[in-house]
Amino acid sequence: MASTQQCLASLARLSLASTPTRAALVPTIPKFLVPSAAAVGASQQVRYATHNSNKGGPKKAAKKKKQYKFFKSWDLSAQQQFSLCDAMRYLRAVEVGQPPLSVKYEVHVKLRTRKGGPVVRDRVRLPTPVKTDTVIAVICPDGSPIQEEAKKLGAVLAGEEAVFEAIKSGNFTFNKLLCHTESEGALRKANVGKILGPRGLMPSGKTKTVTNNLEATFRDMIGMDEYRERNGVVRMAVGQLGFTPKQLAENIKTFMAKIKSDINKIDDSTPKMVEEVVLSTTHGPGLSLNAEFAPTDDKIKPEDLESVM
Amino acid sequence: MLTTTTEGKYDCNLNHPLHLHGGACATCSAPRLHYRDHHDNADVRHQLLNIRAGPGAALLPKEVTKVHMQFAHRIEGGHMGPRKFWRENLPKLKYWNPSVPMVINRTNDQQGPAVMTVYFKDGKDASAPRFPSSAADGKSPAPKPGPGERTITINMKGRNSSVILQEFLDKTGAVPLQPTAKDEEEFREFEDLKRKSEIDRARIQKINDAKRREKAMLAKAMSDAQALKAAV
Repeated sequence: MASTQQCLASLARLSLASTPTRAALVPTIPKFLVPSAAAVGASQQVRYATHNSNKGGPKKAAKKKKQYKFFKSWDLSAQQQFSLCDAMRYLRAVEVGQPPLSVKYEVHVKLRTRKGGPVVRDRVRLPTPVKTDTVIAVICPDGSPIQEEAKKLGAVLAGEEAVFEAIKSGNFTFNKLLCHTESEGALRKANVGKILGPRGLMPSGKTKTVTNNLEATFRDMIGMDEYRERNGVVRMAVGQLGFTPKQLAENIKTFMAKIKSDINKIDDSTPKMVEEVVLSTTHGPGLSLNAEFAPTDDKIKPEDLESVM
Repeated sequence: MLTTTTEGKYDCNLNHPLHLHGGACATCSAPRLHYRDHHDNADVRHQLLNIRAGPGAALLPKEVTKVHMQFAHRIEGGHMGPRKFWRENLPKLKYWNPSVPMVINRTNDQQGPAVMTVYFKDGKDASAPRFPSSAADGKSPAPKPGPGERTITINMKGRNSSVILQEFLDKTGAVPLQPTAKDEEEFREFEDLKRKSEIDRARIQKINDAKRREKAMLAKAMSDAQALKAAV
């Protein structure tokens, strides 16, 4: 039947064409005679499709930029790497004279990983906590025992209307927001995602901030630090400027162990591995670590890096 | 278009291993346009070099136990010198003497003093009071010397950072450290880079100026044509 359709199509085109040779064909062939006419008059027909030089071949698309499936990994063979104490010595020199509470050590863990797919995202309790200023608010039904429990646990704000009002007015003091499962509907109706989302405060099951066990979540929140992989790198603050090398080493070790267990939990279809660990401070350069601890300069002892900043 | 320049020859050390003009990068396919290649980490190397070597790199004698500085946040009222000393010389001093606390108390009082206090240990007992940590709100003034301690003060107000450094070195008896041969080589490398970037900057500015001129001329011609049309 395909041939009939092709013929009809070509006839339709012929009827539209204005050149006299083609127009002459039209009245001589009645519609009901088309198949046989096609068989007879095949040699006379102009077949436009045959003029396509690329017939049957693959379609030529515009040249596309190559899309890489993995994040780029760099050759680290020429990269200078530092032991923890050496890196700390440089960073403490950069940060000299800065108020020590406002300066943090950060770790950047570069992963060899696919673009897209599941990412490393979790919370970790560091041996020496970095943040000591967690302020929590809880969204829970007004006048319920849950509200009382939240207040008792140390929430600055608990309830529904009060919390939503504070969020909408924009002047709130909390930097962590929890939502009880019973108030989830109210949270959705309150339409505060636009304000909370960009600040990373929107409660959700993914970040374990929608809960029905406030006590356990509070315990996790205070002294727990969140981290997540963005563009193949996990970044987190692991210490304050005043930390000793030992404290910082413990924190980094704990953090790395947690990341490795997270990587193992993610299924094999998205393989991940740690490529590089970089230590930096708020104002300092990023120094690649070589997993050693001791300073290379034998005149310097780790205790020297414990002085008041 | 972005090949090496034909105007102006770089008079830098072309035999340097990092100095490979043109060609492709060794580890990825990106063209290597500049010898400060993206795998080289030259920015960090430069920053570390300036922490390690230069004016301020000195070993303090064992008697110097603490250094305290107080000055204002902004530079007016003679606070530029101390600020420069902090930014440029103090990191080097801290790098070579990591165990010596160097604390800065910055105040909001531009008319206030700019003073450095250096603590020496005289006797054997070091029962000094707890040394405060640096503050940006003027809340860490220099504590009085404890028993077995003495202090000297250096007035920094209205003085150049190099003058402050010289007085500090003289009064404490610190031994300035000369950069090693490797550090000197690196200093030279970054100087070459600076010279090269000046040549490049001039070249690019010429191109950009020409573009801007052409654009202005075109705009003027267009507006003239419009005016002519409107007049007719």
